[in-house]
Amino acid sequence: MTVAAVPVSVITGFLGSGKTTLLASLLRDPALARTAVIVNEFGEIGLDHLLVEAADEEILLLEGGCVCCSVRGDLVRTAGSLLARRAAGAIAPFERIVIETTGLADPAPILQALMTDPAIADALRLESVIATVDAAAGAATLDAHPEAVKQAAIADRIVVTKTDLADPGASGLLERLHALNPAAAKLTAVHGAVDASRLFGAATYDAQACGPDVRRWLAAEAFPHGAAGHRHDHAAGRHHDAVTSFCLRRSTPLHAVTLTLFLQVLAEHCGARLLRLKGLVDVLESPSRPAMIHGVQHVFHPPAWLDAWPDGDRTTRIVVIALGLDPLWLEALLDALDCEVAALQAGASAAA
Amino acid sequence: MLAYHDAMPNDATWQTRITLVLSGALRVWGVSGTVLPDPQDAAAFFVAPETAPTVRVRHEAAAGWTVMLVDPVPERRAAIGRHAGLPGLLRQLREDLAPDAPAGRLVIGAQPLLERGPDGP
Repeated sequence: MTVAAVPVSVITGFLGSGKTTLLASLLRDPALARTAVIVNEFGEIGLDHLLVEAADEEILLLEGGCVCCSVRGDLVRTAGSLLARRAAGAIAPFERIVIETTGLADPAPILQALMTDPAIADALRLESVIATVDAAAGAATLDAHPEAVKQAAIADRIVVTKTDLADPGASGLLERLHALNPAAAKLTAVHGAVDASRLFGAATYDAQACGPDVRRWLAAEAFPHGAAGHRHDHAAGRHHDAVTSFCLRRSTPLHAVTLTLFLQVLAEHCGARLLRLKGLVDVLESPSRPAMIHGVQHVFHPPAWLDAWPDGDRTTRIVVIALGLDPLWLEALLDALDCEVAALQAGASAAA
Repeated sequence: MLAYHDAMPNDATWQTRITLVLSGALRVWGVSGTVLPDPQDAAAFFVAPETAPTVRVRHEAAAGWTVMLVDPVPERRAAIGRHAGLPGLLRQLREDLAPDAPAGRLVIGAQPLLERGPDGP
């Protein structure tokens, strides 16, 4: 018997955008009573730690720097320690872990550590990335700090904070966030107050409810097509803050080898630019069981094979959020690889 | 040995696609230059960076891709690379034309994508 993996959510956001206020508010919600929290902060004293009000929560402080820089060691050790102590009954049996990054953190290495480290990857399950954006200063922060752009682009949910101070709609911030990350749910919060059920709870990747869940996870309809029937131009993708988001679609199945080669080429040549890639792929060799793929930069989960298509739409949909990647290039690359693979397989069949 | 089927289409659609792949790769690597189909050969392309010699890449039906340095002296035109597929071709072009461009590798993690129930996946 295996133990269900513990869902992990990552709260990211630029300095002063209200991450800790949001976290403190969330931890007062009874629904999150059994939550372990991993926080860190720059400097000698973890001030953010002192601000988190959660007397009966498990809170660990990662000392000595940014969680994204030391993540391979400290985060893995901390998460591993939490799991070991829970298993030993030394701490309350938490049901969820929330990681708060520092304001300057690149969330990608954190996600990668969760996905790859053998010490914790099997026991944890990345559920969601939540980014906070300040309604008052958010636009200026996005202008000045590429870290903030990346945090918003990579998120599953964006919480616009301090909406009592500024109207994010009037400033164009909401529109800009939508362009950066069209699929992320946008919520607002004043003094951190937000409905926790909209941030947590519903598993992001739930095999038991794969229909609506997978559709919500992929949210392909929120993205412009990289190409519409192989006719496309630069306007097809959204270009803001050097982040491009689009959806590649294919109505014919891809060879399994094509998918592997495509991901290999992306990882090799532009892994650092690939903020997130999610997809539901119609694989020629598996006609009734689509492959679900998810990667952050060059690191991917092992592909998961769904028992069935989640709905009547059996097209391949690959959602890409990237820094400065041209959808035309990815379209052409995918087609060219599949064409080569098809020709090779035809050659092998002819020789047999 | 795997070989390409003779029917590998070297038509106009394929040419446009490969031109897009190669020129897009140059942009990804930060290399200024052009990619043009060889007007004399439907299976070949000239990749011409601004700061390096032009190379000619050609798809050979049975073997994959050959890479040749374009030299005005015909005797010096020798193949400098041969690859079974586009991934190998792109790797050589990056290493030759943009040796400082970031290069990574695909990592497949250990964490399952789908939630597992208490009794297994």
